[in-house]
Amino acid sequence: MLLPRFAFHQPASVAEALEVLGQYGDQAAVIAGGTDLLVNMKHKKLAPKHLVGLERIEELEGLAADNGHIRIGPRLTASALAGSGELTGSAAALALGAGTLGSPQVRNRATVGGNVCTARPAADMCLPLLALEAKALLAGPAGARELPLDEFFLGPGQTAREPGELLTGLLIPKPAQGSGAGYEKLGLRKALEIALVNVAAVLTLDGDGKTIKAAKVALGAVAPTPILAPGAEAALVGRAAGEEAFAQAGKAAAADAKPITDHRGSAEFRREMVEVLTRRALRQAWQAAQGQ
Amino acid sequence: MEKTQIVLTVNGKDYDLLIAPNRTLAQALREELELTGTKQGCEVGDCGSCTVLLDGEPVNSCLVLAVQAQGREITTIEGVADGNKLHPIQEAMVEHGAIQCGFCSPGMILSAKSLLEKNPNPGQDEIRQALSGNLCRCTGYQKIVEAVQDAAGKMGRG
Repeated sequence: MLLPRFAFHQPASVAEALEVLGQYGDQAAVIAGGTDLLVNMKHKKLAPKHLVGLERIEELEGLAADNGHIRIGPRLTASALAGSGELTGSAAALALGAGTLGSPQVRNRATVGGNVCTARPAADMCLPLLALEAKALLAGPAGARELPLDEFFLGPGQTAREPGELLTGLLIPKPAQGSGAGYEKLGLRKALEIALVNVAAVLTLDGDGKTIKAAKVALGAVAPTPILAPGAEAALVGRAAGEEAFAQAGKAAAADAKPITDHRGSAEFRREMVEVLTRRALRQAWQAAQGQ
Repeated sequence: MEKTQIVLTVNGKDYDLLIAPNRTLAQALREELELTGTKQGCEVGDCGSCTVLLDGEPVNSCLVLAVQAQGREITTIEGVADGNKLHPIQEAMVEHGAIQCGFCSPGMILSAKSLLEKNPNPGQDEIRQALSGNLCRCTGYQKIVEAVQDAAGKMGRG
């Protein structure tokens, strides 16, 4: 399969990248790992005349904790995140999701920035980031701005990023004491699969280790974007952690889901599976939180 | 579309290439360097037959632009044996009947090599996880997994 022709730019800084993006507008596409973009180009779905490679831009790398936040560089690969010892407590949700993406070969190239900007409803790194209440950091000709991720995802493949903007980082809150995460992905295969349904759950336990102080549940593949399940959250906060609360949260999450029937599965089956996966992800998060 | 001059470091050797930006690493290796051990199967990152190691890590070379691979250490299947002496993984694959048509084998061997260099004593599940990006239509995977386990043992004793 051949790639269409394009000019390749390798800016050395964010400022240079913005110049190129500004110059070529919607004729330009950003390429990091290329594991989604190049597939679409080979399938003739996209044919940008200019590709902007991010390899030379060091400031887009790295994981840094400061000021009560963890700043995630958009060029970090799924592999790097999956194996990161710095993503503990609730932040482990990102490592867990990243570890289920594609295959080892894909994970060694696919980046978190690419996953967020490609914004598919079942994206394995988007779900955990949503559950972690992440913020997207954008740089553009008008300056820098911050956007909560739930305002960033607008539809399948659609984000609030303007063509001239570059995602320069993701911010997640530093994991609280007594927090833990779970991630469940259901597919027809165990690898190289887009989820039929996936769920990310983050729990923070109270000082007594029994009551749920905070909870977030994110659902994938059951709406036009990854979504939070506010009903599930309401069924958890202030309750005693355990099977009863998780069962109720599962039912509430299934009600929060808006699945459709497609070639991967029926809406009814997806709704059923949201309930099951939510319970499992919550159990996993509870185990992890008790260990913290 | 202009061609650019790049240097690709493959199996320890530097190669000067004049190449268009829309050429993938898989195409460059096979067509410019005539290293045809790397295969083009699905060409969209779903089968792993194009697997090469980039700085020791397995990637699908069909989804890496040749120009992006500059400055990286590329290892292809041609770089695994030591002259005529097969790598323990290659020997084990032959002994265990883990090669039928051979199309998936270069990718399997490279993924396994990367695994054993990071984890010298993997369990079956870990081997299957490490090979989960390499599809085989012939063998049913069992013999490949056994070959990798066997190679791990031999490499550990070496």
